[in-house]
Amino acid sequence: MSEKPRPELVIDGFPGKRRPRWVELATSADHKDLGRILIAGSLGFLFIALVELLLMRLQLAIPENTFLSPVAFNRMLSLYGTDAIFLFALPLILGLFYYVAPLQIGARGTALPRLGQIGVALWAMGGLVLYAGFLFTPSEAGINPLAPLSELAFLSNNGVDAWATATGLATLGFVFIAIDLLTTLRNMRAPGMAWRRVPVFSWAAAVCCWLLLTIGPVLLAALTMLMIDRNYDGVFFADGSGGAPLLWQHLSWIFYSGAYMLILIFAFAAIAEIVAAFSGRQLANRGVVMGSLVAIAVLGTLAWMQNMLTAPIGIGWMYFAMLMSLALIVPFGLIVFNLIATMLGGALRMRAPLLFALGAVSSISIGLAAEIDHSMVAAAWELKNTTDSTAATHFALIGGAVFGGFAALHFWFPKMTGRTMGENLARISFWTMALGILVAFVPLFFAGGEQGEVIDAYKFFNHTGVNGYNLTASIGTLILAAGIVMTLANAILSRVNGPEAGHDPWGGESLEWFALSPPEPHNFDVLPDVRSAEPMRDIRDAIAHRTGSTEAPAQETQPVA
Amino acid sequence: MTPHSPGTDQIDTLLQIGFVAAAIVVVAVNVALLYAVRRNRAKRGDVPSPAAVNSRRGQFRVGAVLTAFAAVIFILSVIYTGKARETPASGSAGLAAAKSAPLTIKATGQQWLWRYDYPNGSFSYYKLVVPVDTAIKLELLSTDVVHTWNVPDLSGKRDAVPGKTNKVVFLADEEGEYTGQSATLSGQAYGAMRTAVEVVSPQAYEEFLKQQKADINSAQDRVVGLIKNGEVP
Repeated sequence: MSEKPRPELVIDGFPGKRRPRWVELATSADHKDLGRILIAGSLGFLFIALVELLLMRLQLAIPENTFLSPVAFNRMLSLYGTDAIFLFALPLILGLFYYVAPLQIGARGTALPRLGQIGVALWAMGGLVLYAGFLFTPSEAGINPLAPLSELAFLSNNGVDAWATATGLATLGFVFIAIDLLTTLRNMRAPGMAWRRVPVFSWAAAVCCWLLLTIGPVLLAALTMLMIDRNYDGVFFADGSGGAPLLWQHLSWIFYSGAYMLILIFAFAAIAEIVAAFSGRQLANRGVVMGSLVAIAVLGTLAWMQNMLTAPIGIGWMYFAMLMSLALIVPFGLIVFNLIATMLGGALRMRAPLLFALGAVSSISIGLAAEIDHSMVAAAWELKNTTDSTAATHFALIGGAVFGGFAALHFWFPKMTGRTMGENLARISFWTMALGILVAFVPLFFAGGEQGEVIDAYKFFNHTGVNGYNLTASIGTLILAAGIVMTLANAILSRVNGPEAGHDPWGGESLEWFALSPPEPHNFDVLPDVRSAEPMRDIRDAIAHRTGSTEAPAQETQPVA
Repeated sequence: MTPHSPGTDQIDTLLQIGFVAAAIVVVAVNVALLYAVRRNRAKRGDVPSPAAVNSRRGQFRVGAVLTAFAAVIFILSVIYTGKARETPASGSAGLAAAKSAPLTIKATGQQWLWRYDYPNGSFSYYKLVVPVDTAIKLELLSTDVVHTWNVPDLSGKRDAVPGKTNKVVFLADEEGEYTGQSATLSGQAYGAMRTAVEVVSPQAYEEFLKQQKADINSAQDRVVGLIKNGEVP
């Protein structure tokens, strides 16, 4: 891009770098810098989670294996689950929201940047504390450590304390980021951008922030109670002294169900943006899709007891959980229908972001279809806590956070770095991942659904009919991991070596494509009045009308507004 | 699993319904995706029609179909869950004493073993012995952490939570041994926490109870004797 003189800008007269770049980055309160830290950090934690998953799958490759001791396996399990949710999925999603949403709504920054900065720092602290647990001993209590196993009487080393501290710090960080982002979305939208004109991705950001503000404090409260129980003789989750082990299950599952839905809301919003952009059309029934995202947040969180169908709770509550879970069929179905309706009128450019987006829809469809069975009360009594539920959860969440996250990463990577990610490596990576996830998790449906292999166990027994399934699953996990590592490598390589992208490589319709790639620290010099849900289309149309060219300008020329 | 109890028969039917529902969803979504991709892949010179489809009536129709789909699954689930929860009546071949009310046995989970307390005061670890064709009610309790009683052929899973009784009802229709494995992470040896249900004839069951009681008593007598003699066991 040619640099034109911009005398109105103070930034041109700005002195050069005064401090090293990493110091600037680490001390920056700019949403783009913080977003990049979250995204890069979470992808690093994804790699660590993969190593942990592979170690567990190696242990489960053959029956009655002794590669990992039971304690070592439980530690890997606890670290893997916590890493995958609190250090990879949620921060990746928040990072993308935090980077993209202010640009999409035409804001020059966030409303409470220091709060966001503290949030990112707290999350980083959480990651540090979790893995510093290695210095003494990590938690052995599982992905969601059900009380009273997490109590001092049963796990007396500091592992659970480290887990609770790490999770609490990260969650508090997410809540801070959510407050900042929500304030920004509510108060700093460009002139004319009513809520009905907000891009779907930014709308989803608002929904997810509300969701985090609802479920985050619930988990923080539960973690505080756990810490009081463990360190100050509390009895919140101890039976026999007025406490209730089930209280932990209720509180924690409210958070985990909400987080599950948050991942899917993010994924479908990113997919909707990508499908619309690569079909060259507007999203069909935008309003319905936006409403459905809200419905998913509400119904999905209300379905928390879907995870407790074997616990001693009343049958009425079980039917309530089933009703909420099955009601989710309607919003999810409407979103998928409208994605396909959008594609059907368009001309699809099968680039990497679309490939990953469609892979995400496919993977999520398998996971959610299996979740239907896990919501049907009596069927859940057989399927719950078998590897069938491992497979269902992984199809939905790898579909949402990894495939969906990678789709969003490929889509917005040019905006963040000014370069596109390598297309060939992206394709190879995608097909490897698609093969990997099927080979890794379809066998677990059979092992759990037919043979009843239980979840979280450090070994399985010979002659239970699951040897072949587990070996296949281990091989598949290796393939999946290889595919994921390829995309991580692609991202690292393309940051410096990728083909230069320009400010609007995909022909997007929202305002982030109006900014430079990567955007200036203040995002925009000037902003157009927003008159529709597709401001960039309006700009292109206006330019075509006046000059006969369809090339929309980045902000270096005066916008036509 | 191979159902061997009236409850698991119902669950098996519901699982098949669930499988069909899941298959419909997976096939519908993925076939539609593949169709859309094949049909609308951009060729050189293609110009998409950018205008959005906004059909309120269409959305209501799709919503109605989805709601009906969810409602059918919900109703079938409630029906079959209700049937699966029913306490079966003991059959003629079963234990005569359990004709009017199910035979109640206490199952206590502890790290990492199940203990079963029978009505006559005897108990057994790991293996539960029950008479065939007799309604059994297990009262699940835990002395330490959450465990899940899980013998798939005879019953769905149920959690044993400290301080809160849960129950499992089943009626084994065939003699034999059914195995299961606890299904909630309960600490180090969780992966080895198994249990077995041995279904025997009513006579053999009575015999087992008597033998077990006698064994327990003699073992206790021996310990008491040792203590009296000053030899601490």
